[in-house]
Amino acid sequence: MATQIPENLKYTKEHEWALLNDNVITVGITDFAQASLGDIVFVELPEVGRTLDQDEAFGVVESIKSVSDLYSPIAGEVVEVNEALTESPESLNQTPYDSWMVKIKVDNDSEYNALLTNTDYATLCEG
Amino acid sequence: MKRTSLYEKHLAADGRMVDFAGWEMPVQYSSLKDEILAIRNKVGVFDVSHMGEFWVTGPEAFQFIESLIPNSFDVEVGKAVYSPLLNREGKMLDDLIVYKVADQKVLICVNAANVEKDWNWIEKAWKETNPNCEIKNSSDSYSLLAVQGPETEKVMEKVFGKSFTDIPYYGVDTHSNDQGEWVFARTGYTGEDGFEVFGNHEQTVWLWDELMKQGVAPCGLGARDTLRLEVCYPLYGNELNDQLTPLDAGLKWTTKLDKGDFIGKSALVDYKPIKRLIKLSLEKGIPRAGYDVLNMSGEKIGEITSGTMSPILNKGIALALIEVEKFPEDKSFQVEIRGKQYPATYHTKAFVQGGHK
Repeated sequence: MATQIPENLKYTKEHEWALLNDNVITVGITDFAQASLGDIVFVELPEVGRTLDQDEAFGVVESIKSVSDLYSPIAGEVVEVNEALTESPESLNQTPYDSWMVKIKVDNDSEYNALLTNTDYATLCEG
Repeated sequence: MKRTSLYEKHLAADGRMVDFAGWEMPVQYSSLKDEILAIRNKVGVFDVSHMGEFWVTGPEAFQFIESLIPNSFDVEVGKAVYSPLLNREGKMLDDLIVYKVADQKVLICVNAANVEKDWNWIEKAWKETNPNCEIKNSSDSYSLLAVQGPETEKVMEKVFGKSFTDIPYYGVDTHSNDQGEWVFARTGYTGEDGFEVFGNHEQTVWLWDELMKQGVAPCGLGARDTLRLEVCYPLYGNELNDQLTPLDAGLKWTTKLDKGDFIGKSALVDYKPIKRLIKLSLEKGIPRAGYDVLNMSGEKIGEITSGTMSPILNKGIALALIEVEKFPEDKSFQVEIRGKQYPATYHTKAFVQGGHK
């Protein structure tokens, strides 16, 4: 099955997706990421209130065989965490674009606009 | 990188190929979890052609093996023995299975990463003791499939048109059909019933196709590693290495100090183990190789050697080597994961009881 890359989202080289809404970005991992990882069995997410730099590791996602860091696409403050994921990490495999991980309040949207577009990201995945 | 005779078959089955000991091997096909469940509940097959095969043949073949390995080779023809291979200091060079295939005929199966090291060591021992037998490294001539799972016997009977009930657990037999000569061994690395089938490259491609026709699931090395950890089989390079003796790593049962002389025996007679291999499970967090094991005061007392999430138990499981001097009397342990300490449960039995005969 072809990798799903929704048009309305932005992407990172670390295979995360981001969506900006009222100065808050919602972040998750892409369909490509979940397929590469295989069965996801564990997610570790940050505390609400933590301040992140761009590209700072904020959490971990583990499959049966691997451990992968999660990186913040943009600098900002964690305002909400999807606690439900820690109970059902498999939803990252099933519905990667509905299974958001964190919401980050951002200072400006220039970093967001500089993220990869869906077409850039599709090229990265093919490479 | 080396490729097995089944390389094209792996690609055709969507196998994700990785480097393993210099071989391009399938780590996973469909889903790791599905592959694990196929082996535990039905039947699956692993290509393990990267492993090494040595033949020892001749009047003193059995005696030579007896002097080479610490475990007892005093078994009937048609049986196999698991043993470490030791250097003169009693440290482990590898772990292997020795098959008493027929009178004067022994097959040794060794780990892929150690083929050359083992061969050089065995050849050296052979030259030094000059037994009345020949030795041959046939690793390049063989492919090897491990068919594993409760439905293995049924599938094997269909493919080969013969009964397999007479081959016991850890038994071995030879067989000829239109394809050629086969060696069937009721061994494996999953804890389930199953056969390891040795044949030449063409034969093995035929067997793979026949197994696929029977609906046998192709399984990768990722599933194999999780399966072996669930039943607590050690892996050379993780639990076993050349800094440790079998007495340090839970293999005292393979070290028969009351049998005749064998390489490494003198070093082991008065040996005091420095490590102890233990089994730990975690309700929260997934232990991984290299993570620190702590006592309840937070002092480091050992390291995880293999760890994963068990999809069957839905919890983290691990083997760990603990320093004997620091072994906690209360058998209470913690594992440090990314700076946080997680309580671990000490187990005396394997996490999963395999269904092997």
